[in-house]
Amino acid sequence: MLSRLWYYVRETFVSLWRNLSLTLAAILTVAISLSLVGASLLIREGADRATAQFQEGVEFIVFMRADASPEQDGAIRNVLDNSPAISGYTYVDKNAAYLEFQQLFADKPELVESVTSEVMPPSYRIVPADPDAGNVGEIARQFGEQPGVKEVATATDAIRQIEDFSNRVSQALLVAAVVLVGVSALLILNTVFTAIGARRQEIEVMKLVGATNWFIRIPFMLEGTIHGLVGAALAVPALFVVDDQVLAYFQKSDAVPLFRGFAVPEGFVWDTSIWLLLIGGVVGMIGSAVAVTRYLDI
Amino acid sequence: MIRLESVSKVFKGDVVALKNATAEIQRGEFVFLVGPSGSGKSTFIRLLNREEVADEGRIMVAGKDVGEMGAWKVPYLRRQIGYIFQDYKLLPKKTVYENVAFALEVIGRPRQVIRTQVPAILELVGLSRKSERLPDELSGGEQQRVSIARAFVNRPLILLADEPTGNLDPATSVGIMRLLDRINRSGTTVVMATHDRGIVDTMRRRVIALDRGVIRRDESQGVYE
Repeated sequence: MLSRLWYYVRETFVSLWRNLSLTLAAILTVAISLSLVGASLLIREGADRATAQFQEGVEFIVFMRADASPEQDGAIRNVLDNSPAISGYTYVDKNAAYLEFQQLFADKPELVESVTSEVMPPSYRIVPADPDAGNVGEIARQFGEQPGVKEVATATDAIRQIEDFSNRVSQALLVAAVVLVGVSALLILNTVFTAIGARRQEIEVMKLVGATNWFIRIPFMLEGTIHGLVGAALAVPALFVVDDQVLAYFQKSDAVPLFRGFAVPEGFVWDTSIWLLLIGGVVGMIGSAVAVTRYLDI
Repeated sequence: MIRLESVSKVFKGDVVALKNATAEIQRGEFVFLVGPSGSGKSTFIRLLNREEVADEGRIMVAGKDVGEMGAWKVPYLRRQIGYIFQDYKLLPKKTVYENVAFALEVIGRPRQVIRTQVPAILELVGLSRKSERLPDELSGGEQQRVSIARAFVNRPLILLADEPTGNLDPATSVGIMRLLDRINRSGTTVVMATHDRGIVDTMRRRVIALDRGVIRRDESQGVYE
């Protein structure tokens, strides 16, 4: 039993090494396609979390410019205090915004260090009297025209924007990923096919001396599975790079303030990694199984 | 040990390889298959280890119906049949020792068995001192000895040989035939297809003569013609 295991391992690695250029191509394709799958999953999750943070009713937020004058600020406050359309509001000053920012990115100290309370925009979180989306949109538009206002984010707007963004990006990535996963499977199939071709003589001898079909097949199937698993293992660090760089980029985004909630906990990244490994292994196994059943006429 | 009952085999394009062939070979017999190229000698041999399947008739090998046997059983049939070829079919990147050991390894024999069996069989074929050589460092006769060692290392009941001396000069051929004769005397049934008139006429063993797929002659101490 042990000698058989040793045989499988040895033959598999000899074959991987002999076939190095194709092996690398197959592994890299798996790595790239699974990175895209992972990125797509992360972005989707980030979007879910970002919108979840905006669940307190139909609140909308007026972000003031960091350099807005006290007069401009007073004018906004005056409207808020007196308008019958507004039922309440809370003011988040620079320090409070900075504190919130610190809490939100507690696990990213370098990001927190890169900003000061001075650059944080103060904001008004506003609860309108009538939560109807059309009504909120109209009030929000009026605030947006006031001097000193940087921008106004309505929950509906923001959620729509984020969902739209995440759908587009993650779907585009997913389509690319599915195509590439297919390409990987074909590449693995071809690599295993080549490996079979390179060992025609051995296979012929094995058949003649009475090796069972499974004994002949297993090293080739292991080879394909290893392509898939190693590729997936390479996609895991890529996933952390996506988490670190891309999602962090949105978190710093000025264009859409709510993207600042765009964070994914590390546990989710690890869970996704396990999925990638599973997908990689299965793709490799399927690719090599097809190669083995189609080209190993036993 | 081997029985063919009215066996016929036709290849694509109506090439008749074997027509209504009936023969019985007892345990421990040594049988020459003779006949011109294309007379069906190779097909006869390939039917026995199920490299080919007969179109009609029945083939019994070691008590099993070869034609009816499930595909998963074929490897176990082949473990009882050694097979040697005109072109040796040795693996060029493996040493003599590794070539022989490979045959045991791929049928899952434990390593300690391999470690005792391989040197013993190399001793039998007279290649103990060349066990670390690669096939292309050996003469044709020596390569054929390696191939015989590989075929016989698992102590099969039957040894099939398809023109084993076809690439060898007469003197070397004699050595190979001595070896096959010795293996046969240990109780192994040997079926050998050959063109070599000299060998057949010297050995005076059973001869089955084929012509265009038909058994023309079956003599117990026959000659080539």
